[in-house]
Amino acid sequence: MWMLLSIAFRNLVQARRRTGLLSLAIGLVTLLLVMLLALTDGINDNLIRSATVVSAGHVNVAGFYKATTTEGAPIVTNYAEIRKIVEENTPGLDFVTDRARGWSKLVSETASVQAALSGIDATQETRLLRELRLAKESDYKEGGRDEVIGDVNRISEPETAILFAAQAERLGIGVGDKFTVRTETSSGRTSTVDLTVIAVAQDLGMLSSWSIFVPKETLLALYQLDSDTTGAIWVYLKDIDEAPAVMNHLREVFVQKGYTLMEYQPQPFFFKFEVVTGEDWVGQKLDLTTWKDEVSFLTWVLTAFNFLTVMLVSILVVIIAIGIMNVMWASVRERTREIGTMRAIGMTRSRVLVMFMLEALMLGFFASSAGAALGAGVALAVDAANFVIPYSAVRAILLAETLNLVIHPEPLLFSVGLLTTFTAGSALWPAIHAALLRPVAAISTTE
Amino acid sequence: MTTPIISLENVTKNYALGSTVVTAVSGVSFVIREGEFTAIAGPSGSGKTALRNLIGCIDTASEGVVSVRGHNTAALSDRRLTRLRLDTIGFIFQNFNLINVLTVVQNVEFPLLLAGGLSSSERQERVNTLLAKVGLAQFAKHRPNELSGGQRQRVAIARALVTRPKLVLADEPTANLDSATGTQIIDLMHELNRNEKTTFLFSTHDHRIMDRAERLIQVADGRIASDEQVQR
Repeated sequence: MWMLLSIAFRNLVQARRRTGLLSLAIGLVTLLLVMLLALTDGINDNLIRSATVVSAGHVNVAGFYKATTTEGAPIVTNYAEIRKIVEENTPGLDFVTDRARGWSKLVSETASVQAALSGIDATQETRLLRELRLAKESDYKEGGRDEVIGDVNRISEPETAILFAAQAERLGIGVGDKFTVRTETSSGRTSTVDLTVIAVAQDLGMLSSWSIFVPKETLLALYQLDSDTTGAIWVYLKDIDEAPAVMNHLREVFVQKGYTLMEYQPQPFFFKFEVVTGEDWVGQKLDLTTWKDEVSFLTWVLTAFNFLTVMLVSILVVIIAIGIMNVMWASVRERTREIGTMRAIGMTRSRVLVMFMLEALMLGFFASSAGAALGAGVALAVDAANFVIPYSAVRAILLAETLNLVIHPEPLLFSVGLLTTFTAGSALWPAIHAALLRPVAAISTTE
Repeated sequence: MTTPIISLENVTKNYALGSTVVTAVSGVSFVIREGEFTAIAGPSGSGKTALRNLIGCIDTASEGVVSVRGHNTAALSDRRLTRLRLDTIGFIFQNFNLINVLTVVQNVEFPLLLAGGLSSSERQERVNTLLAKVGLAQFAKHRPNELSGGQRQRVAIARALVTRPKLVLADEPTANLDSATGTQIIDLMHELNRNEKTTFLFSTHDHRIMDRAERLIQVADGRIASDEQVQR
């Protein structure tokens, strides 16, 4: 085998121009694949971050309360008891928090926008307050200072709010300004409250464009809800990948404890209003979801990027495969005499096949490894450079303000494996042809 | 009487050339025994190469029986034919047919690696001995393209002998060499035949080889024209 490897390697070196060109092509496709996968992983990371900051815990225990068969509110009553069950029965638990939820109109002197309200308890939300990065005033206010102002910790004060930059810009307000929140309670009454902006955070993609944070007490007061009521209990796990298993476990626990659960639907809570109001029941039903369910309407971004990656890389790989096949045919033609000689001397067909396949495998492996290493380096450099995405539409799709590329070992190994396999696969037909050459024909061709 | 290595019994080889069938070898029979230094001679197109291919087990007869060490080559699978070639026959080609990407020592070692069964040190010892015998010890690390024609043919001889085959099949071994080098190569093979008892079978029309051969088989139009022992 060592001799076959040596022959394969030396043949590659001998045909260095051909090897160089093919290596360049394989390396560039690998680099592109690694970059696209890094971008997809970056979007995935952005999605997880924005989802678990703005929209959901890793697992959510929420639900609907119906006072009559035709009216349903997305609230959990007597939540302290439910929260205790969660805290006592969640494997791999990191921490638990709860947020009240609402939907309202934000009105400033110059504009109004619709937004989801998250009622938070500052004492429970250290992670959120740590994760939020404040925007420079110039990012949302014309003629604003090029510095960060405001303090997220003031959210513990009543009738305050944290906005995201895009909302502040649309409303034409900044830190210290007041705006009005107008909503409708479950009894149909209009309720309003004036809030003071205490901080403006950097956008977190699409999700942050319709979310603001207010103190939980302020939100409960706005909706005239009791203090033992909340919107959802958010469960954070040590390992986010365990979320589906933990959700299923908690469902079983709640059923055992006598709670009524809604049928599992992997959708955000606001997609379920119509179904709930159409159902003939009253009282409290719990609804358990994972973070992915709550942002399922955004997964099209990842699907689209994966599709784009697959399409682009497939086209390039097919082009490369044709190139490799042609080169291998040329190599077999040029080395027909050598093959005939080796066969005459006593080399078996299988060894001839292995020799050519080793050549292709070495080419594919080294070229794709170099491409993957270079791609990882470029991706890390781009990520470290924190390139600001100039277009708001692209920012919304990529769910971040800056270009975020993430390198994990698995996509690197996948890229090298895929390109090496394709290279070897492309060489298979010419290699089989070489192996099947009759020694007499191979020798006669050249003598 | 020594043991037969090769036996041809009424062998015919036909080739299809488009719709025409060309008979390259017709009803040929002879036996090659251990230790012979035999030349198959004849003009171009007489059937020498076809005979070499049949004896070398890289082709099979259309009719008749070609036996190598008692094995009917037509009855063997490709794998067994390959093994038979590896164990029994050493090839020397007109164009040397060395593997250009390997060094001299690696070219000579190559059949041993295919055969297996020897340790690295045993292989090295055998290769070095042979290279010394053909006068190329100092060129062990050279590539074939760094050698003269005569030196390349010496490498090919060493490669052919390294597995200690029963038969060395040399096809026009002097055709691409100058006169002096060709004579040296013939001397070398003759010496190996005498000292090592290696069997050589040449297909040639070089008179220097025919003059040194102890048995001369003349072929013409695919048939044996004459087969005579030559007393030297």
